[in-house]
Amino acid sequence: MSTDATANDVRTYLIGGLNMAVQGHRLCQALDSLQGMETFAADGLATPDIVVEEATVPATPDERVLYTFDLNDGYGCCRMLTDVAGNTGYRFGSGSMLVHDRLGKGHVRLDWRGDLGELRYMLWLAYAHAALPHEAVPVHSSVVVWHDRAVLCLGESGTGKSTHTRLWLNNFEGAWLLNDDSPIVRIEQGRVWAYGSPWSGKTPCFRQQRVEVGALLRLKQAPENRIERAKTLIAFASLQPSCPPSMIHDERCADQLIDFVGRVIERVPVYRLDCLPDLDAARLSRDTIFSTL
Amino acid sequence: MRLDEKVKIRQVAGENIIMRPAGNVADLTTVMALNESALEIYNLLKGSDFELDDVVKALTDNYDVDEPTARRDAATWVEQMKKGGLIVD
Repeated sequence: MSTDATANDVRTYLIGGLNMAVQGHRLCQALDSLQGMETFAADGLATPDIVVEEATVPATPDERVLYTFDLNDGYGCCRMLTDVAGNTGYRFGSGSMLVHDRLGKGHVRLDWRGDLGELRYMLWLAYAHAALPHEAVPVHSSVVVWHDRAVLCLGESGTGKSTHTRLWLNNFEGAWLLNDDSPIVRIEQGRVWAYGSPWSGKTPCFRQQRVEVGALLRLKQAPENRIERAKTLIAFASLQPSCPPSMIHDERCADQLIDFVGRVIERVPVYRLDCLPDLDAARLSRDTIFSTL
Repeated sequence: MRLDEKVKIRQVAGENIIMRPAGNVADLTTVMALNESALEIYNLLKGSDFELDDVVKALTDNYDVDEPTARRDAATWVEQMKKGGLIVD
C-alpha cells in the first residue's frame, strides 16, 4: 500500500501512558475541533510510541479481506484487510483508509475523507493496533472508581453498563466516573491499570488519570440479582469480547490480544453479575468486590 | 471423522484455550478449554481420520483405564469436540 504524505503539522497526546503524535495539517485541524482531545494534549514529549500520519493510501492488488463489519451510526461497512507485507488495514465505505505498518513500530497511516465522527473512530482503531504491543488495550466498558480502585462494567451494548455505574455514582459516597465507553486497560510491571481516554461514548468523561483495576464485572440483564466469581474460562469469555472486535481476525493481533486477556484475568478478579437495574444490584456488586480487596 | 487442524490451542492463564471466531461477519466466538487428557487425545488423533474405536484405543493405550470406562470417556470426548466445532467430517 503505497503513500504520499501531506503537509507537516503535529499534535501530541498522552493516552494510556503512551505518547501519540498525529501528523498532517488536515488531521491536526480536525483534532483541534474534536471534543475531549484537548484533555490528552501533551507538549514536549519524548520520542512518540505511536505516530499517526496523514497520507494517501491507494488500494493494492494483493490485499486480502480478513473481516467485514458494519460501523454504528450509519457509517456503513468497513473491511479489515491484510497485504503481502503483513500490514493490517481498514477500508471504510467513505473511502477512508487506515494502515498499521507491521514493521513501523507504532506507525499508522490515515487517508481520511473528511467526516469527523469517522475520524474519532479511526483514531481509536489506530491507537488500538499501535498500543497492543505495549499491553494497552481499549476495553468497551463503563468505569467507576471507589476507594481507589477501578471497577470496569463490561457487557454488550444496551445491557446496562452505564446504568449500573450511575447507581454507584449516585449512591456511594466518593464514587466517580473514569470513562463511560472505552478506557485504556494497561498491564504495567505486573499491575493492571485503567486510564481515561478521549473515547467516552455519549458521556463526555475525559480524564487524564489512571486507577488500578480492582475488578471486572460482566453484566447481564436478569429478573434477579446474582453475582458469581468467574473461573478462568468464563473470565476469559467475559473480557475478550469487550476488546476491539476486529483484532481477533488478524492472527498476529489475536496472539497478542489473547495473551493480554490471559494476563489480565490472572491478576484481576472477574465477576458475572446477573441483575436488575436497581440499587440492590449495585450494593451486591460493591459488597462482593470490596469484601475481597 | 477428522479433527480441525487449523484450530489454534493457546495456553492462557494456565488453561488450554481454543477460540473460534465464528465466520467473517457475525460477532460470535466460541471459547473452549481442554483439560490435559482431552488435549493429549486431540494431539494423538489429529492429522488422520478416526472412528470412536480409535479414541477408545488411544485412551486404553495411554491411560490406566478399563474398556467400559474408556468407551464412556471416548464418547464424552467426541461430544466435546463436536460441540466445540472441532470435528470436521
